[in-house]
This record gives sequence, C-alpha cells and structure tokens, in this order.
Amino acid sequence: MTAHTRRALLAAALCTAVLAACGKKEEPAPAKSAPAETKAAAKPTGTLNLYNWNNYIAPETVERFEKEFNAKIVQTFFSDNEEMLAKLAAGATGYDILVPTSNALEVLIKKGDLQPLDHSKLPNLKNMKPELLDTPFDPGNKFSVPYAYSTTVIGFNDKRMKAAGMEPRGFEVLFDPKVACKVKGHITVLDSPDEVFSAAFIYLGIDPNTTSNDDYKKAAEAIKKAKPCWAAFNSSSYIKEMSAGNMWLALGYSVDFFQANQDAAAAKQDFKIVSVIPTQGAVLSVDNMVIHKSAPNPVLAHAFINFMMEGKNAAELSNLIGSGNANAAAMEFIKPEVKANVSVFPDAETMKKLRQLRLLPAAQRQERGRLWTEIKVR
Amino acid sequence: MNRTVPAWIRTSALAAYLFLYLPLLVVVVFSFNDSKLNAEWVGFTTAWYAKLFRNGEMLIAARNSLLIALVASIVSTFLGTMAGFALHKYRMRMLPVLVVAPIAIPEILMGVALLMFFVMLNITLGLVSIALSHIAFCIGYVALVVRARLAGMDESLVEAARDCGATPLEAFRYVTLPLILPGVIAGSLMAFTLSIDDFVITFFTAGASASTLPLQIYSMVKIAVTPEVNAISTLLLLLTLLLITVAARIAPGLLRMND
Amino acid sequence: MAGPPLAYLIVFFAIPTLLMVVASFRVAGEFGGLAPLRSENADWNLSLNSYARFFETGLYLELFAKSLVYALVTTVLCLVLAYPVAWLIAHSAKKYRDLLLLLVILPFWSNFLIRVYAWMIILGPEWALARVLNAVLGLVGIGPVTLMFSPFAVIVVLVYVHLPFMVLPLYANLEKHDPTLLDAARDLGAPAWQRFRYITWPLSLPGVFAGSALVFIPAFGIFAVPDLVGGTDGIMIGNVIKQQFLEARDWPFGSVLSIVLTVSALVLTGLAALAARPRRSAA
Repeated sequence: MTAHTRRALLAAALCTAVLAACGKKEEPAPAKSAPAETKAAAKPTGTLNLYNWNNYIAPETVERFEKEFNAKIVQTFFSDNEEMLAKLAAGATGYDILVPTSNALEVLIKKGDLQPLDHSKLPNLKNMKPELLDTPFDPGNKFSVPYAYSTTVIGFNDKRMKAAGMEPRGFEVLFDPKVACKVKGHITVLDSPDEVFSAAFIYLGIDPNTTSNDDYKKAAEAIKKAKPCWAAFNSSSYIKEMSAGNMWLALGYSVDFFQANQDAAAAKQDFKIVSVIPTQGAVLSVDNMVIHKSAPNPVLAHAFINFMMEGKNAAELSNLIGSGNANAAAMEFIKPEVKANVSVFPDAETMKKLRQLRLLPAAQRQERGRLWTEIKVR
Repeated sequence: MNRTVPAWIRTSALAAYLFLYLPLLVVVVFSFNDSKLNAEWVGFTTAWYAKLFRNGEMLIAARNSLLIALVASIVSTFLGTMAGFALHKYRMRMLPVLVVAPIAIPEILMGVALLMFFVMLNITLGLVSIALSHIAFCIGYVALVVRARLAGMDESLVEAARDCGATPLEAFRYVTLPLILPGVIAGSLMAFTLSIDDFVITFFTAGASASTLPLQIYSMVKIAVTPEVNAISTLLLLLTLLLITVAARIAPGLLRMND
Repeated sequence: MAGPPLAYLIVFFAIPTLLMVVASFRVAGEFGGLAPLRSENADWNLSLNSYARFFETGLYLELFAKSLVYALVTTVLCLVLAYPVAWLIAHSAKKYRDLLLLLVILPFWSNFLIRVYAWMIILGPEWALARVLNAVLGLVGIGPVTLMFSPFAVIVVLVYVHLPFMVLPLYANLEKHDPTLLDAARDLGAPAWQRFRYITWPLSLPGVFAGSALVFIPAFGIFAVPDLVGGTDGIMIGNVIKQQFLEARDWPFGSVLSIVLTVSALVLTGLAALAARPRRSAA
C-alpha cells in the first residue's frame, strides 16, 4: 500500500468518525422543541412538512391555512406511491403529513411508520362520507383520513373516435387488437404495473387483487397481444399529448382527463376529451392523509387534517382538478359541472364495480416485476 | 499562426450548434406561450414570468440549485484537478478506480447507497447532503478532463523550467498550471452543469424540505409542464450567462490562458 | 496530491458502494427495502438468490445487449458531431474560443427534463419535422412514421444530452496539438485526410477516449430518456433498475443489476483505454 493510500485511508477514517459525531449531535434538537410546543399558546402553529402528490392541493387552501394558523407549509412532492415508499424505506424523515393511496397506506401501517390519529383533535371527521371510512385498510380510521379519490378510466378524443368508428365503452377498446389497432400508434397506457395489470385482470374478468401466478401469466399474455397497437407506456405527459391531439385513446386517471379536457378547451381545440368508466369495472384510488411517526409537528398536523375536512376547504381540490371528494359536507361547494361528471362522482351502481388495490405480497411483486420487464423488452 | 478552418468543418460545426440550440429556442420561445398546455403556439404573453415570481417554492428551489452547484463545482474542481494530476503522474491502484467508478455506476445506485449511508450516520438530509453527493460524482469528470489535458502536455517544458532553476512549486505555478488551465476550466464548467441538472442522486439525498429545480420540475412533469418551467429555465440561463461574463471580466486572462 | 480526493471518494463513494455490494447478498424486506441483517433467530439473512434470478432467463442479458447498442450508437454519433466542433474551437482565433466553448455548454444549463420535453414537441406528429418527413415518405409510398416514442427518439435525445461531454475533452486535447507538426506535414505534401489520419487522430486519442467514456457510461445506465420518449419498445437496463428500487422495491435484485452494469461498463472502458493509449513511439 503506497504512502498516499495509507494517508488517504487515515483521513477517510477520521472524516467518517467526524461525520458520525456530527450526525449524533442532531438528535437532541427535536426533543427540545417538543416541550416548547406544548407550553406554547393553545392554537397550533409553526411549520408543517407536507409530502403530497403534485398539484393535489389548491393554492388558495394553503394560503388560508397559513393565515388562519400563522403557520408555514413546506411542500415536497412525489408523483408515484412507490417513489414515496422507496424514500421512506431508505430512512428519509422529517415529514409531518403524507398522502398515500390505500395500498401504500397498508404498507405504511404494517411497517409501523405512522402515528395513531387523535380523534379528539379531529371534530370534522363527522363531515366525511361514511362509505369511505372504516375500510379494511385502516379499520376505525386509526391512522388515516380519506382525502380525495380518482378512478383509472379510459379517456378519448371524441372527434377521432367518431372518425375511426369507435365507441369506447369498456376495456376491449384497449386490449382487443381488432379494435385497438384501428388507431394504432395513438394509444397510451399508464406506465404502472399496478394499473395495467389491473386493467387486464378486469378485462379478463379476474379479481385485480389475485395472487395466483397463473392469473398473472394470463394477464401478461393479454397485454403482450395488445401492445403492438399501443404507442407508449406513459404516466407523465399523456395528458398533454391528448389535449394536443397527438394521442387519441388512453388508460389514465379521471382527474387527468378532466384536466386534459379543460386544457383542450383553453387551447380552443375542436374536440373534447371524454372519459368513461369501463363497463367491466375499474380501479378506485383513494388517497389519504396520515401523520408520519417522526413528524416534527404533530399538533399542527392534526390541525391541518381537521382543516382539510371542512367542507369548503375540501371542495377546492375537486373544483381545481376534478378529483372525487370523500367529504359529504364539501358537496354543496363543488361546481355543478364537476358534480355531474360521472367519472368523478360515479353513481351507486358503478361504485359497486370499482375495486381498490390491496398490497401485493413480495413474491407476487417479484413475479409481476419480471413479467413487466418481459412485456417491455420483448 | 496559420490556422485556416476548412469549409466542411465549419458547416458541420454550425450544424452541430444548430442541433444544440433548436430545443433551447423552443424552450425560450414557448415560455411566452399563452397556453397552459404548451404543446402548440397560441399567443404571446409574459404572464408566466409574473406567475413565477409569485411561486415561492420554485424560486427557493432555483436558489438551492444554484447554491449547491456553486459549492459542488468549486470543491470538485479543486479535488478533481489534484486527482487528475495524481492519475497522470503516479502509478496508483485505488484512485483510478474510485475516480471513474462514480461515473460508471448508475446514478440511482449511488443515490440510494448515499442515502443509506447518511441515514446510518444520522446525518440530516438537506442541502448539505445533496452538495456532498454532487461533489462525489463531479470529481471524476474534472479528473478525466485534466488528465486528458496532461497526457498531451509536453513534459519537456516543465523539465526546462526546472533546469532553469525553478522549484517544483514554481514550475507548477508558472508552467504546468497555465498549460492545463483550459482543461481545469472546462472541467469545472462541466461540474457546474452536472450539479444543476442532477435529478436522480438529488432525489434520494434531499430529505424532507430541501428542494432543487430538477426535483420541483420532475414532480410537475407527471401532470404537465407549464410554461412557468420554461420561464425559470430561461431566467436560469440568463443568470448563468451573466455569471460567466462577470467572471471573464474580473479575471480577463482566466479563460484565455493559451500560449 | 492524491490524498484529499482519495479520502473524499473513499468516504462518499467507496463505503456507500460497499454497502450496496453487501445489499446484493441480502434478502429483500417484507415491505421492500432490505431485511435486517440478522433475523430474529440470529441467522444471517444472506443469499445468492438475487444473482441466480439474473441468470435464470435470457431476458436480462437481452436487455443489457440492447442498452449496450444504444449507448455505442450514441457515443459514435456524439463523436462524429463533436469532432468538427472541437476542432473549430481549437483552431479559432483566441477571442472567439471562449464564446464558442460557452455556446456549447450553455444549452446544458437548462434543465434536462425541459430539453427532453422540447424534443417531444419537435418530434411530435403535428410539427414541421414529422409533417415534412411523412410528406416525403408518402411520395415513395411508405406509410406515416411517428418519430416520437421510438428508438429513434431515444437516440436523438441521448446524443443531444451527451454532446457537450464529448466536445469538452476533445477540445481540451486538440487545443494542445502542436500546429507545426501539421504545417510540416503539409509542406511535405500530405493531403488533409492523411494529416488527419496520421497526426491529428492518433494525438487526439486520449481526448477521444475521455469523451467517449463520459458519453458511453452514463448513456449505458440512463433511465429518464427512454422513460419519457422511448415508447413501448424503448426500455433500457436503467429503467429496470429504477423499477427494482421503486415499484418492485426489490433492493437486492436492483443491487445485482447495478453491479453487473457497473462491472460490464468498467470492463468495456478498460478495453477501450488499452486501445486509446497514446503511442509514445515516434510517429
């Protein structure tokens, strides 16, 4: 070992030791602030760290909260449940509130990452729609409160569909090559094994929460058969592609198609973006508010959740992005054209056909991952 | 000094420059597009710039990006030049591997590895952890460029200086350094670029409240990139152009240490 | 001289990497991530399972080959495009050199994602490029082609993103070439292509190598570009690695893929380094 290397290793060892020492000093600080909080004035205040989907809270709502509680909301964003879970799994801390979808919520609860909610601090819980409370994911709403929901549906360009003689009603329009290939190269599906496999399952009449490897093989076959007709797996820019008129048919989220239609109208396009819940059924994604166990400011976090359960505040998101609303008291504040949108607020009949995704066991996740890679490579 | 440039080289180079600038032009022009969609040109407006200055988060993210890039490029240029030298002069075993490897390893691997490392040492994630991570992968780029520069350098010049009585330090300062400076500057420019643009590693080492421009934009990408992002890119470009111009003025010889 | 950079890299690179290598032998946690090193009954949670899975099917090797081809094509195209630019800058009058260099770097200070989006517009079916191309192809009877969401789009964007990394090292090298060598050759009657082939090119090899390494290696493992513009066929090994760390949350397997990627990239680079060694023997 050369002299250089020896000196460098020594320096490296010193550095690591110093870093470790620096690191440990960080710990006492949060403990000191906690007693200060409880001694503070009755009204919660301070900084709230919100880890949320992008564009999933109206700016007006944020401003109003900050004013009312003389607080500051620091927002960080994720665009995928998996992204959020991966970051937390690697040990990232410092978030007060997270907004996971139900199956991600399941993971967080099972891992013990969340604080139980103090219902005495959440009087507005009475505003929520009872059918979305007390779910198998979180019995008794011990850890979570529903926030907003969307459905994974089929969206299309009405003018182009008419021209191709197609009337999208169910998943056959995506998975039956005879139908789908009529608009070959102008179809996108979400870049998510969760969503695409679920769509394939629903098309084949299989329960999307199946854990049978055979079922997965069948679904993979169906996807591979349809793939040549599709242009791309895209969860990011498909909204733009649709409102620009490049893509004519897509598997996507109801909130996204709502936005696409608004954007197309603003751009004075000569078509509308319409979305339908497939006849065979669809996936329902309910997003929830939870408090992370290492939250720096749980008092303010509770205040925030309660604030968001007020009818007026909850309605603002629906009006902004066309998301389904879990809050009964919010319904009167929601714009009529949003309320009338069947993809956003499906009737009772359709609600029965909607399925929420559950957590997939590790073995199936691995198998599905392999199939997904196969689908994309071959 | 007879250095004529053949026409075909001039044309190909021009074509390459056009290729480089076309998308940039699209970005700048479309920052004035009166369409939230930004897929086609609708009309002219400066509303997006106004909106930008009301978007506190975007501004903080931009400030963080610039700060981190500055720190990372300075430190990594220092360390990278030293490394480039050592690679060139000495027969080392560990250093070449350690220098090249951060570039060879997929960023995502480094991102998660660094995250686990920071967490295990209980270091709070934030601007500091991002900067430390950026420096790690920037050193390699600077070192390679400096080494390529040294490889072609004429050693006899240094020897001549020593023969004339210069100490090793003087030989370095007055002969070697000026000769490799273009390489060093090139390397530091690269490091700055890489740091500003980095997404994957930053994503994992940023923690709860730190945000940089790429992180901010990527979150928005999932919905639709509004012209606001074009606007801040345009502004960022102008800012860095300004910085470089100022740097060239302050140290007029800095970028022109040839011959 | 080597001390400080070496120390820094050991702390912030070697050690984290070691953690990853160990992770490839560990078992995935129930909810993703890593299982604790020792399970409740004090057994070591280590296994070779993840490596076995890699070689089980030809799928991952196929994927590697595909990514390799993409990266090589990108490198060659970058070299072809960058060489004239580097040459031009190196042979320009001093007062223009900094400006030209700056103009190469400047586009890359804008955010990477934005530039990809801008290309998505340019390559989109409604834009001039596609329309013109399809009109021309239509004359010959070939059906309309979509430029976006295809291997073509991936290569174009890859080249675009990596071009400056080829220009800078090439320039740094070409700049040092002794012009008198070329003058002498010209005086002796050598035509331009000979001057290039026997003088300029061999002398520029270290720069070519540095530039190629800086393009090939990141391009080999990239995921964002194929993710955004690749379409249903445009997946590279980087995408699968990202998938292992995010959707599948199978960190040991992701670590295996990353290690194989790194080792193969290093081996290839090592081979290229041998080929690019400057010839010290008199020309």
